[in-house]
Amino acid sequence: MVTQDDNKFNKNIILIIAAVIIFIFLPNFISGYYIRIFTAIFMYATISQCINLMSGYMGYLPFGHVMFFGIGAYMSAILMKLGLPVFIAIPMACLSAIIVSIILGFPVLRLRGHYFAIATIGMNGAIMTVVQNATEITGGARGTTFPIIMASPDVVYRYFYLAMLFLMVITSLVMYVVVNSKFGYGIRSIKANEDAANSMGINTTFTKVTTWAIAALFTSIAGGIYGYWMSFIAPDEVFDLMFITNSIIMMLIGGAGTILGPIFGAFIVETVSEVAWSGFMQYHLAALGIATIVIVFFVPRGVIGTITDKIRNRRIELSKKAEVTNG
Amino acid sequence: MADNDIILDVRSISKHFGALKAVDKVSFQARKGEIVGLIGPNGAGKTTITNLVTGELRKTEGEVYFKGINVSRMQPFQIARIGLTRTYQVVKPLQGMTVEENILVGSLFGRSDRQNDLNHAKKTAHEIMELVGLDKKKEFKVSDVTLPDLKRMEFARVLAMDPEVIFLDEVMAGLNPSEVEESMELVKNIRTEKQLTIVYIEHIMKAVMGISDRIIVLHHGQKICEGSPTEVCDNPAVIEAYLGKKYAKEVIKS
Repeated sequence: MVTQDDNKFNKNIILIIAAVIIFIFLPNFISGYYIRIFTAIFMYATISQCINLMSGYMGYLPFGHVMFFGIGAYMSAILMKLGLPVFIAIPMACLSAIIVSIILGFPVLRLRGHYFAIATIGMNGAIMTVVQNATEITGGARGTTFPIIMASPDVVYRYFYLAMLFLMVITSLVMYVVVNSKFGYGIRSIKANEDAANSMGINTTFTKVTTWAIAALFTSIAGGIYGYWMSFIAPDEVFDLMFITNSIIMMLIGGAGTILGPIFGAFIVETVSEVAWSGFMQYHLAALGIATIVIVFFVPRGVIGTITDKIRNRRIELSKKAEVTNG
Repeated sequence: MADNDIILDVRSISKHFGALKAVDKVSFQARKGEIVGLIGPNGAGKTTITNLVTGELRKTEGEVYFKGINVSRMQPFQIARIGLTRTYQVVKPLQGMTVEENILVGSLFGRSDRQNDLNHAKKTAHEIMELVGLDKKKEFKVSDVTLPDLKRMEFARVLAMDPEVIFLDEVMAGLNPSEVEESMELVKNIRTEKQLTIVYIEHIMKAVMGISDRIIVLHHGQKICEGSPTEVCDNPAVIEAYLGKKYAKEVIKS
């Protein structure tokens, strides 16, 4: 039984490594248009993965989580304008997002359910307003630019493609390690029943704040890379709640509470979106909305969640049958 | 009674909800390895006392000492980590997890002064599941098991935390008579095996009388009587609280 599980585990690892290698070399064979789409998919998968950690695993839906995306983008822009190289600017931006998440986390994570979701939207609005009005530092509502990269667009887009790919892979790996660790059991217990978790010796406040900081970390890196990629950012763009709405839809479609879910969700939604954009632009959002309703009603566990449930149920059935035949 | 035997010392705790005195200056002690029954009519304050002692509710006044440590101002998770824990009257399983994972969470996060990395915790969880007879249901999601199994699981989860004092809040509510017997046996066996101190809250008289070394009776938030099961049964104040004044007089006359 153990060896069988081990084999399956090894097979999965090989499949994942193969997929990553294919994606590393993919830009050699596709046009710039598709490279751009894939970069967006990786970015959304990263954000969706962070939402998944907060919502799918811990049960706290951070609707205003895009604030960390914006903070990451803006801090990177400001620091790079001061002359810092990108490899220092983005980590520092990410650090500032973590600090913000910890400071906001202590009061806000006391709220539960919808109240938490709404409070984070409010905070996102507050931070956006600050950015819009601190004109000397942020460039105000007109936005700000990143330093231009001196290279051909083809090469630049490939860099960003690889950067987002690695970000997605690292985020997913970290999420996998986190949710399967002791700390991860704490996170899942909070979703299941926060009071019971507390009475079982889980420091719920610490767990919640730390989890939010992890989610903020990767979201802010995605923001930094996105800003540099776009080379121009404006407050109403990087603090746009649509980023989170899309990520939530991706998480739901792929399967909340699974590691592969957000990645599959990002691929499905972005592909469908892209087709819808080109075909019938006005109905694009309606299509997403209807898809979400259908998913929540009929496949609440998402694509990956439904598949893993099926596998688990079959295993239980098999073990029951084995028991009957043995005894 | 030797002082160093006392593991839990509750000193005159009160909880007032506005004008309502849900718990009013209740004091009691529990010695190592003892089963203390905590009974009383509905609304007597049994569950409130549990919430106060385990830190889930703020006390209006009074103090709780556990192993000589003042735990009155501690958070529930801190109290759980030094070995004082409870089950819930209305089961609070960790939804969406399997039975095994529920118990694993207990052994992972329970006591902080022993090894509780994943491997050790898994081993502990398996031992406990065998002990309470849940090993066949370990892969089931909590939504797929019956109420008696959930109660059993909650008890197992608490045991997995390796506590020294457990508040069992109506672990038998909703069980049929044969399940009650089973549950009683389980509690007795585990008490002797693990040297546990149990504060036992229960409505089923047969269970409380059969299991407790000492019984505390609450009424309207106050302690009205304390003593051995037979003493408590003969106490007029207890009879009055349960059956009313008129009946109490008749009983005492006869």
